[in-house]
Order: sequence, then structure tokens, then C-alpha cells
Amino acid sequence: MDELEWLKKDWQKKEQHIPKLSYNDIYRMIWKKSSSIVKWIFYISMIEFVFWASINLISYDSDSSALEKSLGIFEITSSLTAINYAILIFFIYKFYRNYRRISYTESSKNLMKAILDVKRTVTQYVWFNIAIFTVSFFLLLYGFLRNGEEGQQILHAASEAGNQTFFWIVFTFICLAVVAIILTLIWLFYRVVYGILLRRLRNNYNELKQLEL
Amino acid sequence: MNKELEHKFVTELENNQNIVHKVCSLYTNNRQAHKDLFQEITIQLWKAYPRFRGDSKFSTWMYRVALNTAITLYRKSKKRVQTQDYDTVIYKIQADSYDETEEQRLKLLYDAVRELGDIDKALVFLYLEDKNYEEIADTLGISEVNARVKMNRIKNKLRTILNP
Repeated sequence: MDELEWLKKDWQKKEQHIPKLSYNDIYRMIWKKSSSIVKWIFYISMIEFVFWASINLISYDSDSSALEKSLGIFEITSSLTAINYAILIFFIYKFYRNYRRISYTESSKNLMKAILDVKRTVTQYVWFNIAIFTVSFFLLLYGFLRNGEEGQQILHAASEAGNQTFFWIVFTFICLAVVAIILTLIWLFYRVVYGILLRRLRNNYNELKQLEL
Repeated sequence: MNKELEHKFVTELENNQNIVHKVCSLYTNNRQAHKDLFQEITIQLWKAYPRFRGDSKFSTWMYRVALNTAITLYRKSKKRVQTQDYDTVIYKIQADSYDETEEQRLKLLYDAVRELGDIDKALVFLYLEDKNYEEIADTLGISEVNARVKMNRIKNKLRTILNP
């Protein structure tokens, strides 16, 4: 006999051994929370947002704004911060929407689309954070060299020593190295935090894709 | 979500809870995981319920949501320890109703089904539930031909496992 037919018979015989939950058991269940992957992406992004925002607010006092003013980049950093938060909130909203979409989806096709959207959003989010960081870094550097006291001294000393080209080459090199190191750290951080969740989603996606073929 | 909808949903789920239990028993291998998955499926069903329009049967719709949840939102790590603690599995094989070898072969089959990929497992599950290919295809959102082809492959796979 066909193995599966055999299994089917056995399977249907076992119907009587299935546990039974009461109305109240089920009723309690519908008020509990979901524990899905996408929900965690949403939560982590929120935690991250609150974490960085509070660090920013705590460390940002009159001194830092005075420093930014003296460096002549106050307006531009302030508007950058505003844009930054606006976009971050937009991302959180998108994470939340993805979460809702993926939770309610019934067909595998929509599910695949939703998974792709989650992955795209997370990638965009990570790149956005890296970009914002890079821009702020160079902005600070620019302000420092152009308007900061020490910056002026360094530039002055370099031109007096007469090897300005050499100075700029070394300087650029050091800057790039610092940026590269920090970006790698940030990238690693996101890889660890979101990578694990995304990998699980990718596995799901691949299996769903197999089904489509 | 009003009280009436809530009551209707819980009652329907209570009457059809077998489906969810059976999905859980295939996709998990201990009691705690079974409970967790049941919980998760219940939540997904409840959230999707307002959009359930009743153009398919409640049970058909349940199959779809329950399997999608099992496949997508609740994947056990592939690295889990593969010792099958059969005492904790719901469908305990009843020793008295089978002779020794038949029981062993059945256990082997169940183990083999558990080892299948999540989607193959879904196919087998619907098959065991006595669904025809049209219903299987409809529930999983694939074509009927595709369902047949896949099923044949699974049958061959199971056969080689049983008759090495």
C-alpha cells in the first residue's frame, strides 16, 4: 500500500487523541501578544530610536550648541537633526506597517511581497543611518577646520612648514581610515541586530519561492 | 473589535480547534512549542478575522492562516536537537493497536514527515487531512499541477526513506 495512504489512516485514527481547549482558554489567548520576527524588527527599531534620541538629548546642552555656533555649522546641523528625526519616525511607521501586513497576510504570494518589503526597508534603514553618520562626521570636520581655533592653528602650521600637499594627503588618509573603521563598526552592529532576523525571513522567503516554481 | 465578533470568533475556533492542534503537532515536537504555536496561530487568526469575508468556509480559511503562520512566523531552528521525544508528541502511537514492526514503520514515517521542509510538510498535512488536490492547491496558493508534482516527489522521498 502507498505509504501516505497508510499514514493517512493512522492520522485520522488519532483524531480522538487531540487535546481540547475550552472557550475560556481560547478567549484568553486572543488578548495575548504575537511573537513574530517582524514584530521584533519593529520593536528593536523603536528601542534603538529611543536610545539614540535620549543620548542625543542628554548630551546636547548649551555647550554643544555654542560649539556648533562657533564652528559656523549650527544651522545646518540643526536642520540635519530635524530631517534625521523626521525620516527615522517615517521608518518606524514603515516597520509598523510591514509588521501589520505580514501578520495578516493569507496568501503566500502576498507574504513573499511583504517579506521582500521588510528586507528592503531594513536595508534602507541601515544605509540611511550610515549615511547620516558620515555626513555629520564630515560636517563637524569641515566646521572644525574652517572655523575652529585649533583647526586654524593646524592649517596655519601646515602652510608655514611648507609641505601643505603632504599635510592634506596624510590628513585625508587619516579621516578616511577613521570613517572606514567607524562605518564598519556600525555596519557590524546592524548586521548582528537585524541580520539574524533577516536571515530567518530569507529562509522563509526561499521556501515560499520554491512553492511558486 | 466588538464583543459579538469576539464571541463568534472564539466559538468558531473552539469548534475547529482540531485543525490548529494538528498543524501544531506536525510543526513542533514538544508540548511547550505546541502551546506557543497554538497561541501564535490564534492571534494571527483573530487579527485576520475582521477580513474573513466568509466566501470560503471558516475551516478552509483556518487551514490557510494556520499553515502560513507555522511556515512564516514560527520556524524552529534547523539546528534543534533531533531527538524525538515521542511521549510528549500529541499523536502518541498507541502500542496496543499495532504490532511491533508496523508501529516502528509508522514512527519512521512520522519522523520522515517531520524532517520535510516546511512547505512539503504543509502539503503532506493537507493530504493527510483528506483534502483533494484542488483544495490543497487553493489553500497553499499554487496550481493543481504543481501540487501533484510536489506530492509525487514527496511520496518518492518517503518511499526511499522506508525502503532503503
